Amino acid sequence: MTAIYDWIRETLMNLAFAGTLPLAFQYGFVINALLCALLIGPVLGAVGTMVVTKRMAFFSQAVGNAAMTGVAIGVLLGESYTEPYISTFSFCILFGLVLNYTKGRTALSADTLIGVFLSISLAVGASLLLFVSARVNTHILEAVLFGSVLTVSDTDINVLLVVTVATLLIGVPLFNRLLLASLNPSLADVRGVPVRALEYVFVLMITVLTVACLKIVGAVLVEALLLIPAAAARNVIRSMKGFVFLSITISTLSCIGGVLLPMQFDVPLPSGGAIIMIAAGFFVVTLLIRVTISRFREAQP
Amino acid sequence: MTDGPGIRFESVGLELGGTEILTGIEFEVGPGEIHCLIGPNGGGKTSLVRCLLGQMPHTGTIAVDWRDRRVTGYVPQFLDFDKSLPVSVDDFMAMVCQKRRPAFVGLSKRNRDLTDAALARVGLNGKRESRLGSLSGGERQRVLFAQALIPEPALLVLDEPMSSMDEVGAEYFERIIRELAADGVTILWVAHDLRQVEAMADTATCVNRTILFSGPPAEVLVGHEAEVLFARVGETVAQDVAS
Repeated sequence: MTAIYDWIRETLMNLAFAGTLPLAFQYGFVINALLCALLIGPVLGAVGTMVVTKRMAFFSQAVGNAAMTGVAIGVLLGESYTEPYISTFSFCILFGLVLNYTKGRTALSADTLIGVFLSISLAVGASLLLFVSARVNTHILEAVLFGSVLTVSDTDINVLLVVTVATLLIGVPLFNRLLLASLNPSLADVRGVPVRALEYVFVLMITVLTVACLKIVGAVLVEALLLIPAAAARNVIRSMKGFVFLSITISTLSCIGGVLLPMQFDVPLPSGGAIIMIAAGFFVVTLLIRVTISRFREAQP
Repeated sequence: MTDGPGIRFESVGLELGGTEILTGIEFEVGPGEIHCLIGPNGGGKTSLVRCLLGQMPHTGTIAVDWRDRRVTGYVPQFLDFDKSLPVSVDDFMAMVCQKRRPAFVGLSKRNRDLTDAALARVGLNGKRESRLGSLSGGERQRVLFAQALIPEPALLVLDEPMSSMDEVGAEYFERIIRELAADGVTILWVAHDLRQVEAMADTATCVNRTILFSGPPAEVLVGHEAEVLFARVGETVAQDVAS
């Protein structure tokens, strides 16, 4: 894959030097980040519609925070601080599975339980980060928390590519069944949907996707990119088709804009923050459309 | 013509978290019969239906004697969803009827035809593009009924489908239930309107944790006796809850 990435980088950099593309494309790291953005945008936009429909936004936030703890554990265990994937994936998958397993076995409501897990994970992460900050540059931690275009490597693109393809291969054929299971589990069961098993599949999907997106969007902000594009689309859309495609469009434009605009205008923003601010801009616009144009107001129940 | 299954409940019991929900349930539903389950709220009717659907770990035996296609249509009491979600009636039908083709790319030609026919049958062919959340409770129940008709079931299980139904919707329901029964479909229907039970059911069973009576409605719902009994059952449960 490296040869393909090299060819893409070389081609785009030559176009930038020739003046065909903006100056930001002169830098290999910008092209790396852009490749990641093109992978993350569509997939997070699509999965976000499922997260919103299944009311799992709080869960994805908990996984994002768990990722921070996973990174801290990885660094402490001696993993590379730029690519601590083994510990982060392991911890987050364990976190997601235990949380989902516990959900059906306590009298607590799902949001209370997720809150408890999130708090525990944050507390552990915050404590470990104290030790980690003594070992590595604090800018590395900032990159993990809020995303950075500077640290994206070929390995990161490979991880994202594998996760994105896997998510599409699993998520698209299961889309109907995942949503039906949340609308009415009994009906889904009668229709042959393995409701419990699919819960775990979805939890794993969000978890793996969250970890894979850490480098660009950051642990704290991944959840926002799952949520905001879908919420923005929901403001003005009435059908599932429009919902999914507008969410994908908003998410992809936010990712591309979040990577390129700070470079283009020389603004020192973390990529995660820039991506989420652009997505938030889309949300405000769609909200204004909904509030001001009567045709969209009628979409309210 | 469909050859609906017969169903036999033998000593069915259900315990959840140390509480006995059902005990000693024994009755039969004949092939192609309309059988109504009646009884007070909290008496275990929905739990019994979920046992039949294999969704609750019960004791005893529930034997379904399939003769034809093993197709169960199920109409739940309600859908628990955020009413502002952009899910149209078409999207919902696609979610239910299509296994692999995602709802956001629409219905396949075959499923489009089946869906159109089912929605027309429940009188909702003009509502295909309406948001599910913008429909009235009764219209949503009709959508739920429409999905249960795809594919045409051999066994139809209805869990209080009339609870939020208007008069027009109730007429559609009754007509379709009669048509399905005439076609040989077995229908197990959790109902609360005794007049409707008397008019539509071949047999009825009154459940309040155990069976209070079972048989043809003309025999077990004679005059107002059953209504009085029904009311007394309700009072008993109310007293249980109060104590």
